[in-house]
Amino acid sequence: MEREAIAVGIPKALLYYNYHVLWEHFFYVLGIDLVYSKASDKEILENGKSYAIDEACLALKMYLGHVYYLLDKVDYILVPRIVSLRKHEKTCTNFYALYDIVNNLFKTKIIHYNIDADSHINERKAFIKMGKELGFSRTTSAYAYKKAKRVAKRNARHRLIKQSKLLESPKMKILLAGHPYNLHDNLIGGPIVNILNKLDIEIIYSDIYDDNEGKDKYKSITPHLYWTYNQDIINAILYYQDKIDGVIMVTSFPCGPDSLTNEMCIRKINKPIINLIIDELSSEVGLETRIESFVDIIKARLNHE
Amino acid sequence: MIKECYLGIDVGSISTKGVIIDKNNKIIHSSYLWTEGNPMEAVKRVINNLENDLECTNIAIMGVGVTGSARRLIGSMVGANMVKNEITAHAVGTLSIFPDVKTIIEIGGQDSKIIILEDGIVNDYAMNTLCAAGTGAFLTSQGKRLGIPIEKFGEIALNSSQPVGIAARCTVFAESDLVHKMQAGYKREDIIAGLCDAVVNNYLNNVARGKKIKPPIVFQGGVSKNKGVIKSFERALNEKIYVDKQGHLMGALGIAILSKNNSLGKLFSFKITTEHFETKGHTCPRCPNHCELISIYKNNMLIDKWGNRCDRGLE
Repeated sequence: MEREAIAVGIPKALLYYNYHVLWEHFFYVLGIDLVYSKASDKEILENGKSYAIDEACLALKMYLGHVYYLLDKVDYILVPRIVSLRKHEKTCTNFYALYDIVNNLFKTKIIHYNIDADSHINERKAFIKMGKELGFSRTTSAYAYKKAKRVAKRNARHRLIKQSKLLESPKMKILLAGHPYNLHDNLIGGPIVNILNKLDIEIIYSDIYDDNEGKDKYKSITPHLYWTYNQDIINAILYYQDKIDGVIMVTSFPCGPDSLTNEMCIRKINKPIINLIIDELSSEVGLETRIESFVDIIKARLNHE
Repeated sequence: MIKECYLGIDVGSISTKGVIIDKNNKIIHSSYLWTEGNPMEAVKRVINNLENDLECTNIAIMGVGVTGSARRLIGSMVGANMVKNEITAHAVGTLSIFPDVKTIIEIGGQDSKIIILEDGIVNDYAMNTLCAAGTGAFLTSQGKRLGIPIEKFGEIALNSSQPVGIAARCTVFAESDLVHKMQAGYKREDIIAGLCDAVVNNYLNNVARGKKIKPPIVFQGGVSKNKGVIKSFERALNEKIYVDKQGHLMGALGIAILSKNNSLGKLFSFKITTEHFETKGHTCPRCPNHCELISIYKNNMLIDKWGNRCDRGLE
């Protein structure tokens, strides 16, 4: 059967950073072309801001800019709706609302991608449904998902091995802890990464850790944690805490879950730790002051010991 | 004999401070004046003042350090051998005068910070984040509304026996609350003492939130000149608050010490006060990031450029 070639657009923001390998390979196996938005820049942010409400977090504003960039370039846009990954846990309201926000703002074709563990829709089911919507059989979609999942796992393993090597570096090591979409975004985490590089710091990222060993580590500081993605961040901090010299938590203003869990980390984790809140008005001089003095503190402590 | 000395400059949003120290970290000369929105001019005037003080003495400036929010710009301008953030500078400066200090409270024009020290090293710090409520700028603007020069604030506040409660979470709220209290007929000194309390409460609940404030406590920055605020801190913390009469110079002192420890042995020339410096800001057109680039020219020659996210901005 000849299929009409379709292009699916993927905004390079929010959950892209968690799942892009999985998505990329799923569509690759199905033979569908993907179009990515470009890396975040001022133009993307300005467009995103003009569509978002004021109260939205910086990362969501950025996301809408990425969607806008793709509008006239693709047939479908992949906008996940991820409510819960495990029972009795939630992601963040942005992720349940994302599909509806995009749908209302842009009236574009969106691929149905919905994960909601509380309603018994797991990742596999979501992918099969997504394949179906694009005209593929259940078997084909299930096969593509299985393949993609394997590649994603292998990729995660490689990243872990690579990062583990950095831990042996003689340089000062700082864990950048936060949501991947903040840490790896050009405009949100980018300036922080640049400053740390200039100071010759080895950067360890919280989205890469051994989740077999690190899973549930968060329970040592709080018995319940409602937000799955914040569990990940705390697990990573606890996983790395003996191997690093300090923690910089990065959050985009005004993130609700982070505002609570970061405060908890500051109080309960016994490591030099600071919280950097980034919004669209953040000045690089201000960031530099905070990061440089944080590094000075760690250096002074290391010399003292 | 020529005496080796070091220059420290602290360029803040409101005031610019300069000190010259000797080899024993003692301040020999200092200058303190308003930045007035023009850091380059302010620094020229500070250096000019210091130069006049130095006349006919045998002093060689062997290092220059710059700190404060305009440190990058001024660092390039004066050719500093040390450019450092103000937290480190303040800690180093204060430690040289109070070696046992455990807590430094610093409230300046637009910044407020807390620095926690242990065994003479900085252990933790916090800084105000998105807004400047509860800083010197807040007090100055409220002073204007009341028609009282900021220098008299402290004296008047000390006369109050019953400070009025004022919401200081946000300058906008504080202002409407203040108007309300004035119209309701509260005494002026009680309102002013209330403002001082408001600054302290704001500080303790925002900047110092979750930090253990241990004595000895040193209070510095421009707001430490305000006796009313000192009294409010003493009331709230129930501890003695140390304020050095040179407390406003701690950043400049600290950066001078850091410059001394890192001296390249190059002689600093006072000539820069007569040289022509100019900055130009423009937006880099090379990609959609639109980085805001700043170029600084000395006698029409480009000497430094920054603001770029990538190397293309430097072309």
